[in-house]
Amino acid sequence: MIYLDNAATTSMDPEIITSLQDYMRVQFANSGTVYGIGIDAKKKIEEAKENITFALGIPSSHNLVFTSCGTESNNLFIKGLCFPDKKTAYLGLEHPSITETLLSFKNFDNAPFSLLEFNRQGRLDLSCLPLLKEKKIRLLCLSHVNNELGTINDPVPLIDAMKKESPKTRLFLDGIQAIGKIKLNKCMWSGLAGYSLSAHKFHGPKGIGLLVYDSNLNLAPQLHGGKQQFGVRAGTLPVPLIMAFAQAIELAIARQQKTQEHFKILQEHLIGGLNKLEIPILYNSSYGEFQSPAIVNFSFPPVEAEVMVHHLEEKEIFAGMGSACSAHSKEPSKILMGMGLTKEQARCSLRVSFSQTNTIKEIEKFIHAFAEAYQTLLPTFKDRAVGR
Amino acid sequence: MIEKRTILVRYDEIGLKGGNRKYFTKILLKNIKRALPGDRGIEYRVPRGRILIDLPKSIADEIGDQLKMIPGIASYSIGISVNPDFDEIAGLGVKLIEPLLKSKGKLKFCVRTRRSAKTFPKTSPEVNFEVGSRIMSQLQEKGLVVDIKGAEVTFEIEIGTTDTIIFDNRHSGLSGLPVGSAGNILCMMSGGIDSPVAAHLMACRGCRVHFVFFDNQPFLGRGGYEKVLKLSKIINRYQGRANLFVIPFQDIQVAIRDHCREENRVVLYRRMMYRIADSIAKQYEMPGLVTGESLGQVASQTLENLAAVTCVTSINVFRPLIGMNKEGIIKRAREIGTYEVSIEPQPDCCAVFMPSSPVTRGKISILENDEEKFMWKELQEEALANMETIKVDYL
Repeated sequence: MIYLDNAATTSMDPEIITSLQDYMRVQFANSGTVYGIGIDAKKKIEEAKENITFALGIPSSHNLVFTSCGTESNNLFIKGLCFPDKKTAYLGLEHPSITETLLSFKNFDNAPFSLLEFNRQGRLDLSCLPLLKEKKIRLLCLSHVNNELGTINDPVPLIDAMKKESPKTRLFLDGIQAIGKIKLNKCMWSGLAGYSLSAHKFHGPKGIGLLVYDSNLNLAPQLHGGKQQFGVRAGTLPVPLIMAFAQAIELAIARQQKTQEHFKILQEHLIGGLNKLEIPILYNSSYGEFQSPAIVNFSFPPVEAEVMVHHLEEKEIFAGMGSACSAHSKEPSKILMGMGLTKEQARCSLRVSFSQTNTIKEIEKFIHAFAEAYQTLLPTFKDRAVGR
Repeated sequence: MIEKRTILVRYDEIGLKGGNRKYFTKILLKNIKRALPGDRGIEYRVPRGRILIDLPKSIADEIGDQLKMIPGIASYSIGISVNPDFDEIAGLGVKLIEPLLKSKGKLKFCVRTRRSAKTFPKTSPEVNFEVGSRIMSQLQEKGLVVDIKGAEVTFEIEIGTTDTIIFDNRHSGLSGLPVGSAGNILCMMSGGIDSPVAAHLMACRGCRVHFVFFDNQPFLGRGGYEKVLKLSKIINRYQGRANLFVIPFQDIQVAIRDHCREENRVVLYRRMMYRIADSIAKQYEMPGLVTGESLGQVASQTLENLAAVTCVTSINVFRPLIGMNKEGIIKRAREIGTYEVSIEPQPDCCAVFMPSSPVTRGKISILENDEEKFMWKELQEEALANMETIKVDYL
């Protein structure tokens, strides 16, 4: 099997699977109880938090709240801070867990302010910032790394510019596709109101996410109950998952540089290989400093991506679609459409995303299988408008 | 001691079957025994063709719900053994009827007695009177009315040689005929809303329905396959086990797409499906095909196009939905529990294989002319040779 959809999720690191089994066996106690084993569980959470804080260089000014996933982290922060009437802004190319959360404020006559006209290859053009001040925007929400394109919004220059141009606007970044894949600049934290993470994107378990936020902010809880986690997120803490999260993040950060270098080699190899094919390919992701080397997104009209995915699947190669298309939702990816692609181009887009275990040989096999499937499918799609 | 209940199963049209009644009852009893758990203290009696199920009180309601899923059962009632004492019987009757009165205000009721123990000193009408008058004396003021023909609640008493049982109100069953009494049949399943409803209707007419699915995984992925498997399992709740035949159909679709007139594609795909279904049905001795077609619903379901597909098979084709509208079909799909699965998003082949304007009145001679352009017989044999057969249980 060749798995090239690591932006969707990653396989769990075998080392973490082993540890997690141990954690589940030993650390079963409720960390909210007062007896010894409960206190031990609580200690383990504290230790995990210290390790995460250290690995990511999070300053003491920020709180850590564990959630069930990245989507919950994004919902908790945005709703907890801005619901229902604080003004928000976004580029419009974020993950649905941000865009849909912001758009849900529409019902309260508080639709988010879209900055899509300031989109430059999937990144926010900083010339928009005076507008944030003018519109009295309280929170700007962006992807650190775009989930479909891999383009990077560099936080530090953005934060510096925001301080000058719109000092009252806070910044929230979705870091779910960033951790372990690109280098984090620890200076960003002081200017960040919030940042979200999810363990399964860096070889940790599913079911555990994290929200890092400025402790000066009052977040309204979205789940009510006990007083766990500063009263911001009620619910018994999953101690084993938290320990596995910490372990996964430590591993990811420790090998980040090596991983990134490896990704760059795979990225170059893939793009180079695709360029050699006699197939007209349009790259939706970019290349270079402000692009995560973990994601390559490209279009190959007129062949539809969904059918391409199934042809690759026959060869045990798994890649993601640039657009989520199904019989029910024939709408092509909002992100790609937001980038200015036609419906046909968006429907004919594939997202290849790497993990550190992928090899050059696998990329070669992918290119070969892709080319073969493309030639098989071309007669089917030739001369017909896919987007009808 | 475990408190017991007795369920009386009433069957529907078996009663009309005259000399064959025994045969139908036997199949129904077999189906009931197979559907109900074998290890929970359930015992069966068939006194003169009546099906009685003795079981612990604790599982009576649960088993009743399972009886609602068995074709051939018109209704059932849960009964309690009592002493043959009119005061005791009437007391229990009041207990049963009073709650219903509270919710309705006014209620028409009657007492029906069946007396198989002829040694019992009173006749059935006399028992009806004795018990009915006792119940009326307590509940008449609260709105209870005797109405033998228009009763909303029937209080039934069974006086047997060994015991006397009183039954609660009738719970409706699926009716129809017991599965297996009519024979085996093959349903062409697409994963949509219609075909499972058609399959269910035929199961309720006594057929054991097997399924065939025309798959195209290289283009559409495994979603359709999983969906049809799930739908077959839901239908099997009503009929027990059945086979699902999965035919790899991509080569046939590609050949038709590449060689035939674009507007004829859909009818040509369907002619091939019918031919393959015909072969499977003959191989497994199934004397009928069933489809979810409804007249005029889509371009391929016009009178002409239905004729163009039917003529490739010599087997009976049953289309139980032919005169139904979509709304009615959806309502039934919801009732039998297939709707939610049928509407799960599933990639379709529209963009790849569908013509932009399909023919609505296909001419058989033109279709046959198209079929000369590709090796359909070889492709049909190849598809049948690569058929997967799955023995499907129920969900």
